[in-house]
Amino acid sequence: MTFAVQTRNLDVGYRNADDSVTVLSGVDLAVEAGEFLTILGPSGCGKSTLLRVVADLLEPLGGEISVLGDKPHTVRSRRDVGFVFQDATLLPWRTVAANIGLPTVVGGRHASKFDPNRITELLQLLGLDGLGDRFPHQLSGGQRQRVAIARALLNEPKLLLMDEPFGALDEITRDRLNDELLTIWRRTGTTILFVTHSIMEAVYLGQRVMMLAANPGRIVNVVDIRTAKSPDNSCKREDPAIISAMAELRQMLEQVS
Amino acid sequence: MMRRPLPRWATISLPIAGALSIILAWQFLLPAAGVPSYIAPTPTRIAGVFQQQWALLFDNFWPTLVEALSGFFIGNISAVLLAVVFVYSRVVQAAYFPVVLFFNTIPILALSPIIILIFGLGMTPKIIIAAVICFFPTLVNMIRGLNSASHNEQELLRVLSATPWEIFWRLRLPRSLPMLFSSLRIASATAVIGAIVGEWIGSDKGLGALIIQATFNYQSDRLYAAIVLSSSMSIAIFLSVVMIERRVIRYI
Ligand SMILES: Nc1ncnc2c1ncn2[C@@H]1O[C@H](COP(=O)(O)OP(=O)(O)OP(=O)(O)O)[C@@H](O)[C@H]1O
Ligand SMILES: [Mg+2]
Repeated sequence: MTFAVQTRNLDVGYRNADDSVTVLSGVDLAVEAGEFLTILGPSGCGKSTLLRVVADLLEPLGGEISVLGDKPHTVRSRRDVGFVFQDATLLPWRTVAANIGLPTVVGGRHASKFDPNRITELLQLLGLDGLGDRFPHQLSGGQRQRVAIARALLNEPKLLLMDEPFGALDEITRDRLNDELLTIWRRTGTTILFVTHSIMEAVYLGQRVMMLAANPGRIVNVVDIRTAKSPDNSCKREDPAIISAMAELRQMLEQVS
Repeated sequence: MMRRPLPRWATISLPIAGALSIILAWQFLLPAAGVPSYIAPTPTRIAGVFQQQWALLFDNFWPTLVEALSGFFIGNISAVLLAVVFVYSRVVQAAYFPVVLFFNTIPILALSPIIILIFGLGMTPKIIIAAVICFFPTLVNMIRGLNSASHNEQELLRVLSATPWEIFWRLRLPRSLPMLFSSLRIASATAVIGAIVGEWIGSDKGLGALIIQATFNYQSDRLYAAIVLSSSMSIAIFLSVVMIERRVIRYI
């Protein structure tokens, strides 16, 4: 089977003029197509850096990586990857609908066809009905993040990379968006790599949780929690199996921090 | 403490009342205090100039307006184009930005006689002076504006495989507009100043020439009328810029 993301002995980091800084080294990772993988780790360990390498926003320092069976660059130019940043990164001069439609006006010959029905559908899917004509500054933080997700979904990416997308939201909004994200994931079958600082969120969303450590940056463990959840990857937050998975991860995170 | 904004009628009528009170004081208190009319003619006398010498004022208004507007467009358009070149070519920017910086340190009053020497006494040198005076602030603001897209915004467009043209048109240009308009607003006043300074140095037409002639002939009421016209011109250009800005930048 082809993996959505597969790496062998991958080193990621930053190249400067004369030297380079390795952030994560020896990353061996295989994410199955359709999988929901969450990523936990202390601040500065390289979670964002790893996602940026997968998205071809950064060249790896060494090792091998294939995304959807291809080079990251090929995949990015085909626009098979969606990215959601921690701050929604909406363009303030575009309305909500126009922000969601951004992939229809950029991308050269890969630009998506403009289809008003598709935008209406996404507005509905993310609970943004009636907000299409607003400008970003007229939205709440949660609504802005929904717009960013709708925009990332417009061209139906096979792989969705999310870097702490709900980090700045209150708990109630975050829980609600978690449920909506799971619904979208089930419906679209897209592979998701999701970075978070919240152990609860990592367990609630992920089928597997990848734990990273800093100094030196590396993968410590990939915890499979599918057994603690229903087959459709749903769970109750107060389920004892979930609570014990969270306790295990918390211990792990304390050790590497 | 948050102060409640003034009601709408007050935001319009208070400035009018303020201006009226000063005009009334000028009309009645200054003469009463013994200020001679060759220093400060009363508002009614200035209004009289507008009534009696309308043709003269009008004849001198047009050249200045044409010079100021042409300079405004030429200066700002070339600044925007050069900013785009600088932003896209680091080599050109490294080579020529210091030269531009150096030119900007020359006071426009020192530069104007040279421009007049080169281009003679027609409208051209005044247009060039007005253009030069608009050019630099717009160049600097436009460079900053074009570079003001955030790291995330640029990465967002990279993830979407945007072409360089799309990145310019969909991100960098709209990002730069607020800064561009803030320098256009300043340029609406400086373009008029540039045209008038040019007319001072060498012209027998235009509001600048009228100001100089009126000064030397002690026609202070005509001098004040010319000043009122020049500032009305700046205000008119300023308001046009603001109106266009409101249409272009509809968010926030
Ligand atoms: N452009 C850069 N050049 C050099 N080093 C960088 C650059 N960006 C980030 N780093 C360093 O790389 C390391 C990993 O950064 P990264 O942003 O991937 O961490 P993170 O795990 O996402 O942290 P957080 O949880 O705080 O978001 C950090 O030590 C950071 O200082
Ligand atoms: Mg990060």
